[in-house]
Amino acid sequence: MTPAPAIAFEGITHGFGGVRVLHDVTFAVPRGCTLGLIGENGAGKSTLMNLLGGNLRPDAGRMLRDGAPYAPTHPTDAARTRIAFIHQELNLFPNLSLAENLFLTAFPRTGGLPLIDRHALAARTRDLLAQVGLDAAPGTLVETLSAGERQLVEIARALSREANLIIFDEPTTSLSSRETAALFRLMAQLRQNGVALIYISHVLEQVRQLCDRIVVLRDGAVVAQGPITDFPVTRMISAMVGRSLTQLYPARRGTPAAEPALTVAGVSEPGVVHDISFTLHRGEILGLSGLMGAGRSELARILFGLDPHAAGAIRLGTAPLPRTNPHGRIRRGLAFLTEDRRHEGLCLEASIADNIALVTLPEHARPPLRLLDRAAWRQAIATIRDAVRLDPHLDDARPVATLSGGNQQKVVLAKWLLAHPAVLILDEPTRGVDVGARFEIYQLVLDLADRGSAVLLISSDLEELIGLCDRVLVMSEGEIRAEFPRGGFEREAMLRAALPREARP
Amino acid sequence: MNRPLPAGLALALRHAPLLLFALVVAVFGLLAPRFLSVDNAVNILLQSAPTGVVAVGMTLVLLTAGVDLSVGAIMFVAAAIGGKLLLLGQPWSVVLPLMLVLGSALGAVNAFFVTRLRIVPFIVTLALLFVGRGFALWITETRAMNLPDGFLTLGTSRLAGVPLPLLILGGVVIVAQVTLAHTPFGRQLYALGNHPENARMAGLRTDRLLVAVYVISGGCAALGAILLLGQLGTVSPKFGEAYEFKAIAAAVLGGTSLFGGRGTVFPGTLFGAVLIHAIESGLVILNADPYLYPLITAGIIFVAVLLDSVRHEFFARLGRRHIRREPLASPPAS
Amino acid sequence: MNAPAAAFDPRPPRPAHPRPARLRRALLADGFVLGLCGLYAAAVAPFTPGFATAGNAVNLLVTLLPLFVVALGQTVVLIAGGIDLSVTAVIGLASIAGAMAMNAQTGWLAGSVWAAPVGVVLMLAIGAAVGAGNGLAVTRLRMPAFIVTLAGMMGYGGLAVWLTKSKAINELPTAFNALGGRLGFALLIAAAAGGLVHLILSRSLFGRWLYAVGHNARAAHISGVPVAGVTFSAYVGSGLLAALAAVLLTGQAETGSPVLGQRILLDVIGATVIGGTSLFGGRGKVLWTLSGVLFLKLVDNSLNLLNLSLFTITMVKGGVILLAAVLDALRTRWAGFRR
Repeated sequence: MTPAPAIAFEGITHGFGGVRVLHDVTFAVPRGCTLGLIGENGAGKSTLMNLLGGNLRPDAGRMLRDGAPYAPTHPTDAARTRIAFIHQELNLFPNLSLAENLFLTAFPRTGGLPLIDRHALAARTRDLLAQVGLDAAPGTLVETLSAGERQLVEIARALSREANLIIFDEPTTSLSSRETAALFRLMAQLRQNGVALIYISHVLEQVRQLCDRIVVLRDGAVVAQGPITDFPVTRMISAMVGRSLTQLYPARRGTPAAEPALTVAGVSEPGVVHDISFTLHRGEILGLSGLMGAGRSELARILFGLDPHAAGAIRLGTAPLPRTNPHGRIRRGLAFLTEDRRHEGLCLEASIADNIALVTLPEHARPPLRLLDRAAWRQAIATIRDAVRLDPHLDDARPVATLSGGNQQKVVLAKWLLAHPAVLILDEPTRGVDVGARFEIYQLVLDLADRGSAVLLISSDLEELIGLCDRVLVMSEGEIRAEFPRGGFEREAMLRAALPREARP
Repeated sequence: MNRPLPAGLALALRHAPLLLFALVVAVFGLLAPRFLSVDNAVNILLQSAPTGVVAVGMTLVLLTAGVDLSVGAIMFVAAAIGGKLLLLGQPWSVVLPLMLVLGSALGAVNAFFVTRLRIVPFIVTLALLFVGRGFALWITETRAMNLPDGFLTLGTSRLAGVPLPLLILGGVVIVAQVTLAHTPFGRQLYALGNHPENARMAGLRTDRLLVAVYVISGGCAALGAILLLGQLGTVSPKFGEAYEFKAIAAAVLGGTSLFGGRGTVFPGTLFGAVLIHAIESGLVILNADPYLYPLITAGIIFVAVLLDSVRHEFFARLGRRHIRREPLASPPAS
Repeated sequence: MNAPAAAFDPRPPRPAHPRPARLRRALLADGFVLGLCGLYAAAVAPFTPGFATAGNAVNLLVTLLPLFVVALGQTVVLIAGGIDLSVTAVIGLASIAGAMAMNAQTGWLAGSVWAAPVGVVLMLAIGAAVGAGNGLAVTRLRMPAFIVTLAGMMGYGGLAVWLTKSKAINELPTAFNALGGRLGFALLIAAAAGGLVHLILSRSLFGRWLYAVGHNARAAHISGVPVAGVTFSAYVGSGLLAALAAVLLTGQAETGSPVLGQRILLDVIGATVIGGTSLFGGRGKVLWTLSGVLFLKLVDNSLNLLNLSLFTITMVKGGVILLAAVLDALRTRWAGFRR
C-alpha cells in the first residue's frame, strides 16, 4: 500500500461575501514529491496557502495531512503539524543572531530555569547550518547576511521544526543565480529525504527544472494537473491563461532615433556603482540586465535623483540635470516605475484617481491658492485609463489596495504616462503581474517608444529583455560589463557577463 | 543622503551618551567643585533610584516599539491609594504589595486597549495619564498627604552598608538585564519590536508579550512610587509628574530606540537615569531657577531623541550593503 | 479580491463587504458624529438643568470656537501622518507674548493704535515659529513627531511659565479683547479659518499632496511631491492656528496666561479623532472635525452643568479620547484598509 500523501485537498471551496475564490479544489502532494503550483495572480494560490497555513477556513471540503483530517485555526497549528512556509519576503529578525532566529519559539533551556542554554543553542544551530550548507557562526547577526544566506536560514528554521511539508513562495526573486542553484540543490536533497515540497513561482523554467508534478489554478479551480513530463512551458502558459498565447511579445514597429534622450557619463558612487556611461536615444528601449544586487536598481535611483552620486554627469536631452531631487527631474521629463510597487509606487489606501493624478496634479493647479481644476484632471484620468486599458468596471474612487497586481501596475504606469515622459525608467515592471496584463504592459512600452520616448527597462527576466529591447546592457558588481545589440542577443554570453568576476567558471 | 559618515563622527555617535556624561561632569565639576564629591555621587545614585526603576519598565515597552506615557500617573495613583490605606491603619505588609499589584493592574488596562482594541500605545497611555491623575487628585482631594515615617526610614535604611533603594535598583536592573539577554521571553521581545507581524507569523504569542511588558511597566512604576515616597515622605498633587518624560529620556539616552528592537537595561537605561540626575543635581548645587527645570528636561529629551534618530539612520546606513566590495550582496533594503 | 502581487499575504484577505455592513456604513458616513451629537443632546437635555437654553447655546459656541480653530490645525497635521502635542503650549506662549507686548502697564505697544494688530501678528508669528521648529525636527532631523511635540509641550510650556513666573497679564487693549470676546468677531474668525482650511484640503494642490504624504510618504516623494515641504507646512499651519486660537482665548479671558491652553490637549486630539480624522494619516475633513468638536463640547458642557468635579470631567475626557481611538481603529478596519 502506498503511504497517504503529505497533504491532500479534497473539494476545497472558499469565498468572500458571495465572490467565490476557490471552487472544488482537489489535488494531493505525495511524500517526497515536489509539486509546482502555478496560476495567474488572483487565480487562488494565495487563498489556498492561507487555508493551509491556518489563516482562513474553507467553506466546504477538507484537507488531509498524512491521511488524517487537518483543520488549522491559527498559524501555530500549521507549525505544530510540521508544515513550514518560506516566503518571498523573509520572516527573520535582523536584530537577533542566527541561532536566536532559528530557535525563537523553542529555545533550549538550562535545567528547569527559564534561562537559555547557550551551549546547546550553538551546537544545535551549527548542526542545522551544516545541513543547509551555510558557513556562519551561530552568533552572527542576521542583518549581516545576504538575501540568499537568509533564505538558507529560513530553510534551516523549517528543518529545526522537522517540517515534512515545506511551501516555497517565489523563493528566488531576490537571489543571485549562484544562490538559486544552491537552493535548488538543497531542495532536491530535501525531496530525497522524503520531504514534500510545494513550489509556487512565476518563473516557469525553474518550475520545470524542479518539480515532479504540476497543478495549474485558474479562477479558483484546478484546470490541469499531471506529471511534469506532460507540461512543457507552452502548455503551462496556455493552461494558466486559458488561451494559447502564440506570441508573448508584441511586434516592434519603430526604430530608435539618433538624438540622445539621456546621456550618462562616468557616474560613480563609492560602494554602489562605478564609472557608468551610456546613451539612451529617443524611441529606444534599452535593457539593463544583471543579477540581483548588480546595482541596476541603485543606478536607476541615482538617475532619478533619489540617491546621490559622487562623480559623473547625467544629461537629459542636452541639458545637464541638477543634483538630487526627483521633483525637478520629473518636471524635466523623467519618470520612474520602481520595483517595489506596494511601498514606493502606490498610495495603497488612496483611490485609483488620486494615484493616477499624483504626478501631474501641479499642471491643474490655478493660482493664487493653487486650487485644482477638477474637470480637467478627471478628463485626463479618463483618457489615460483607456490608454492603459485599465479594467473599465473599476470605479475611480476604489482604493488601489483592492486591485490585482496587473491592474495596480497599470495604475502606476498611467500615473507616469500622464506626464508624457521623455525618458521612462521601468524597474521590473512585470514582477507579480499575470500573463495577460503582462502582454498589455509590453504593448504600452512599445507604443511609448514608437511615439519617441526613451525607455530604460530593468528586468531579471532575460526573455523579456530579448523580446522587447533594441539593446541590452549587462551590469555586474556595479559596473557595465557588456553591451548586446538587437540581433546579437545571446543568452549564454549575456548570463556570463552578468556573473561576478571571481565566480566565473 | 547615504554618504558614509566620517569615522570620527561615527565613533562619537556610538558613544554619544558617554561623551555627554563626561561633558556634564566636566562642566558642573568646574562650576561647582562640590559636584564631584563622593557624597554627591552617592546622592545622585540615590536620586536615580525611582527614575531608574521606572525607566527599566519603560525600556521593555520601548523595545516593543510602544511607549508608556502613563507611568507618572500610575505612580501617583499607587502612592495616593497606598498612602490612604496606610493612614487608615492598614499594615505595611498589605499596603506595599497592594501598591505593586495596583500598578500592574493599571498596566494591564493599557495592555487591554493596546492588544484587544489595537489602539496606538501613545494614545492609550496618554489617556490613562489624564484619567489616572484625575482619579488620584480626587482621592487626595488635591492636598498634600503626609505619610507615616516608615517610608522615610525605608528610604534611608541600609543593608550591609548599602542604602536599600540602591539595592532595589540594582536588583531590578540585574533581573531585567538577565531576562532581556538570557531568557526566551527577553529575546522574543527584541523580535517583536523588530517586526510585530513577522513575530506573530513565527508563532510568538505577541499579545501575551505585549501584556507582559505593560504590566511590568505598571509594576515598575508602582515600585518607583514606593522609592520616591522613601525620598519625599509625602504625596503632593504633583507626585510623579513628568516621570514619564524622565523614564523615556533615561532609556533613550541609554541607547534604547523609540523605533523598537534595540536597547539594554544595563548599562544603557541605568546609565541614562544616572545622567539625568547628575544634571539635576548639578542644577540644584548651582542654585538654578526652578522654573528652568522643565525647560532643561525638555532639552534633554530632545537631545536624547535626536541622538536616537541620528543613530537609527546611521544603523540603517550601516545595514545597507555595499555592492561593489561584496559582489554577491543583496541590494539595499530600500 | 485579487491577492496583490505574487507575495503570499500571510494575513487573511480582507473581505470586500464585512458583515456588520449597516453599522460600518453608519460609522463611515459624514453625518455620523453629527447624528451622535443630536442623540446625545436629546438624551441629556431632560436631566440637565439649563442645557437646552439660548444662553447655554451661546456659552457652548463661545467655548467651541477656539477649540475648533486648534483642532483644524491638528486635522491638517494628522492627515499628513503626524501629530502635534505642542499646541497647548503654543497657546500659552502666544498668549503671554501678545499680552506682554500689548498690556497697558509694561507693554512696548501700550497705548498705540497699532497695539492690537501688531500684537495679533506677533502672536501668529510665534505660533508659526514653533510650528516651523517642530516641522524642521520632524522633516530634517527625522525625529518621531509625537516625542518632538511632547518635548515641545513641556519646553514651550515651561518657557511661558518662566517668562511670567506663572502670573497672568491683564489690561489688554479693548480692540484686542473684542476679537475673542465679541461672539460675532470670534465666529467670523473661526468660520474664515474653517472655510480656508476646508478649501485647501478639498480643492487645492497642497490638500491633495497632504493626503498623499499621509498615505505613503515614500511613494509621494518618488512621484515628485515635495514631502518635506508639505509636512513642514502642516506643522507651521498647526502652530499658526493654535496661535489664532490663543488670540480668541486671550480676548475672551481679557488676560494673557501661560496656562491658557493647558487643559485642552485631550479635547483637541479627542475631538479631531472622534470626528473621523485618522491617527494613521491620510484621512480627515474639516466638517468631521467640526462635528467632533461639537460632540466633545456637548459632553463637556453637560457635565459642567451637572456640577461634576473637574477630576471627574478629566476622567470622562480621558475615556472619550479612548473611545475616539477605538472608533478610529474600527473605521480603519472597516474602511477596508490595514494601517
